[in-house]
Amino acid sequence: MNTISINFESFVERDNNPFILFNNQGKIIYLNNSAEILFGYVSKQELYNITLSYAPKTFGYKTTLINLNYNSYIFHSITIGYENEEQISIRLYNTPRINPIQKKDKTKLIKTDINLLLEANIALFQTKNKNPIKLLTDQDLPQFKIDQNSFSKLLRKVLNSFRSSDSMDIYLKLLIGQYIIIEDKKIYIVELGVSANGRYCDEDEEIRRLSIDNQIKSIISEYYIKLEIPLIN
Amino acid sequence: MNTFFTKSEQIQNIIKSFNLTKSLFVSSIIIGEANIGKKTLAKYIFPNAMIVSGDNQSLVEEMLKTYDELIITDFQNLTNYTNLNFDNKRIIATANYVSNPQRVDDMFAFIYNIPPLKERREDIEYLKNIFITNSTSMLMVEKNSINFNKLILDLSNNSKSLEKSIFLHILKYSLTKDEIESIIYNYISKNLEGNDGYREYLGIYEKPLIRAGLDKFGSQLKLSNILGINRNTLRKKIYEHNID
Repeated sequence: MNTISINFESFVERDNNPFILFNNQGKIIYLNNSAEILFGYVSKQELYNITLSYAPKTFGYKTTLINLNYNSYIFHSITIGYENEEQISIRLYNTPRINPIQKKDKTKLIKTDINLLLEANIALFQTKNKNPIKLLTDQDLPQFKIDQNSFSKLLRKVLNSFRSSDSMDIYLKLLIGQYIIIEDKKIYIVELGVSANGRYCDEDEEIRRLSIDNQIKSIISEYYIKLEIPLIN
Repeated sequence: MNTFFTKSEQIQNIIKSFNLTKSLFVSSIIIGEANIGKKTLAKYIFPNAMIVSGDNQSLVEEMLKTYDELIITDFQNLTNYTNLNFDNKRIIATANYVSNPQRVDDMFAFIYNIPPLKERREDIEYLKNIFITNSTSMLMVEKNSINFNKLILDLSNNSKSLEKSIFLHILKYSLTKDEIESIIYNYISKNLEGNDGYREYLGIYEKPLIRAGLDKFGSQLKLSNILGINRNTLRKKIYEHNID
């Protein structure tokens, strides 16, 4: 049988799913572009530990269904493989993002000062909760179009999920250098983040649904919720 | 212009939140027992808004089509929510209770809960002083002529029963002998019937007479002398009227 040697490295390099090759000391021998970005949100040690924990019992490859969340990265499964004692690899599979099928009714979008909505929601939150809140906002953010009612519901639910935390940190900022393209226009992104030492996750599904409804990207973890809001004007 | 009196931090936060959203098109609901000032608060913050009662479903639906800013009172009395369109409107609803919390959660962006007056100590004191000032002024009674130690505040129906209990307490100090007689006259005129009226209605003046006398003079012996009746007669009347 004729064998043709093909170098697949460039395919792996450009793969959207992170791929990392460790040596037996846990040092990285190779990582692709996507993995490089992933390491901004997770430590090398954590991924190496996962690699060892889910490795096949003997030489070969094993795929496991597992939910892993690192900031905006959400993975649904991993493949661990090794063919010798020296190297072990992990490949993480991105969960596909479902684009909202429903288009937002433009008549519902009204130019709004987001700081006003945030402050009103914090005041509402404080009618029921005594948690100290540290707030860092950008008062110079321009007004942008938003569905005031639906977005307020989302904010209420986000804040409410922190109802039992000791203290909360809230920030609102423009994500510098990041934008999305809508109808060929560059749209900047405003990030609203709320974090604490813990939170209730009973309404996470509703928060996800309302975020999708409002064309907002939500990043939800055990300790924080981040909303990436398109600054449509 | 409506005014809303409060010293409660919780309600001040509600007012703050309302004031911030005053110019926005969001739907809000204020939930709490009757007579805690929900409607007053809504009118205080949105003085120009039209008001419609949830008792009239079709009128609410009609007004939602016409107005962008609307106060809906007694929201709990609405039976059908499907025709209520709150999109791009400023809605302020008030409700004494919520029978379907999930529905309210879906419909409203801002959900405010006002606790009953008995849970707002600072407001009880604040409102008490306002009601005392109002009642003494209306009844033309000097404040220092009133014994407030005997004032029993009725909070069973929030501000309404509180105001009434204060008004009635002060009223007692404002009445002249003729007015008291007139009140008894009216009461008896309205209720007198049967065949044992004398014995039945004698208690209206005998009972306070003996109780006040006992409180003032302490002993039955002394009181019988002051009233000019026999001690045994007094004792019999105390027993008849069940006076402690």
